[in-house]
Amino acid sequence: MGDEMIYLDYAASTPVDPRVYDRMREVGQAAYANPSSTHAAGRLTHAVIAQAAKQLGGLLNVDPKTLIWTSGATESDNLAIAGAARYRAHRGKHIVTMKTEHKAVTDVFEALAREGFDVTWVDADSRGLLDPDVFAAALRDDTQFASIMFVNNETGVIQNIEALGAICRERDILFHVDGAQAVGKVPIDFAALPVDLLSLTGHKFYGPKGIGALYMADRPGCHVDPILFGGGQQRRIRPGTLPTDLIAGLGMAAEIAAGSIDDDLAHLAHLRDLLWNGIREIDGISLNGDPDGFPGILNVSVEDIEGESLLFALEPICAATGSACNSKIQEPSYVLRALGRTDMQAQSAIRFSVGRPTTVEEVEFAAERYRAAVARLRSLAPEAAA
Amino acid sequence: MSADPYSAQVRELFAAPAHAGDIAGGEVVSLSDQDVRLRLSGSATGGTVDAMRFRAWGCPHVIAAAEAVCSALEGRPLTDLENYAVADVMQNLAVPVEKTGRILVIEDAVRSLGQRFRDRT
Repeated sequence: MGDEMIYLDYAASTPVDPRVYDRMREVGQAAYANPSSTHAAGRLTHAVIAQAAKQLGGLLNVDPKTLIWTSGATESDNLAIAGAARYRAHRGKHIVTMKTEHKAVTDVFEALAREGFDVTWVDADSRGLLDPDVFAAALRDDTQFASIMFVNNETGVIQNIEALGAICRERDILFHVDGAQAVGKVPIDFAALPVDLLSLTGHKFYGPKGIGALYMADRPGCHVDPILFGGGQQRRIRPGTLPTDLIAGLGMAAEIAAGSIDDDLAHLAHLRDLLWNGIREIDGISLNGDPDGFPGILNVSVEDIEGESLLFALEPICAATGSACNSKIQEPSYVLRALGRTDMQAQSAIRFSVGRPTTVEEVEFAAERYRAAVARLRSLAPEAAA
Repeated sequence: MSADPYSAQVRELFAAPAHAGDIAGGEVVSLSDQDVRLRLSGSATGGTVDAMRFRAWGCPHVIAAAEAVCSALEGRPLTDLENYAVADVMQNLAVPVEKTGRILVIEDAVRSLGQRFRDRT
């Protein structure tokens, strides 16, 4: 193992499972008609989509009819947040989310604030967890909508969705969950959870890019206004011709995940522990997040190391910095800053994320490489000012 | 799609910076600015730079540029230091314009080092 690329960025995206590819190829050749057409070819395509919905519904334990296909989690988040907030706007314009949400959520809330919605941004604790009491205290009589992510994309922290959703149900507040990092990775029975809207995407769990879904609970008052217009597909909530092959791929990825999720979790936990145990003795290292969080993600900071140089020195390991890629000059992660990390700690953060194909050898190599990179950069640096 | 942010020269110089270190008894300048900490040391004989060394805390472009600058200045007249400009190094290493401020810290350090040598004589 030397110059060969080692991919440890599965939270960013995953490779498509070969079985998913096979299914997409098969469908792409056989079910090419427009699924809205009523002729035999259209009905065939429609059946393929119905099967994928059944597969995804099986993973989530929800009625397939509650699923709306989208282009991915970003679109699902936009549709859920903007759509639900606007749908409920006549009843109140107060909406709530966390400071540590993904940009696909925070940017929509900021856009809604510019439209005249009143946004409350709740804080996480130093591990990234949202205390249900803190959440409840942020709610008001005019609160109509809240959005909290299931698994944090940077730290792997898992929120107590059951408790947070129950608080919303008591107050008739629509509750959206960004499940991009959770679906297909963490066993979740959504039929048992008080969640109204759930965003997900295929490429985070070995499905294709460009396809996602929004689950919308079938219960009174749970609805969204469309954000796209142009046809009657999907009950006019999300119009547009459906990409049958991508949907079939997502369905297959869901079926595979449903059958392997427990084994996957055990594998990821073993790898995460191996990696952490291989670097935890480094002077000045600290864990960002909750040790009981999603085991596929390990986010670490180390004192007095420049993050961009650290990531560069880690090559051929492909990991992510704790920096936001909003500019060519990297800025410390707003998520880690919200957890109380200093700029120095946040800018040095590296997110390693392991996946189904990751091997013990790769993780051991990564730990050795990380130790060596930190030692080398420290040997290059002048002493810090006292 | 993101292009490789590092040129081949940056990769080479970052991987093996031959001028990393210190010069015992040499002139030393330390600067800290623009997310960069830099210590530059040099020695000279008879108006010529003998040796240059650096220590740097910064992004890969800073480390590569510090190495390139140290390498380029060895054997040059001391008088070159006070008027030194990093423009050529930035161009050769294809440093993104957003990082100009960081690389200018190296330029400031070289000029300060030149002043130190002049003050000593």
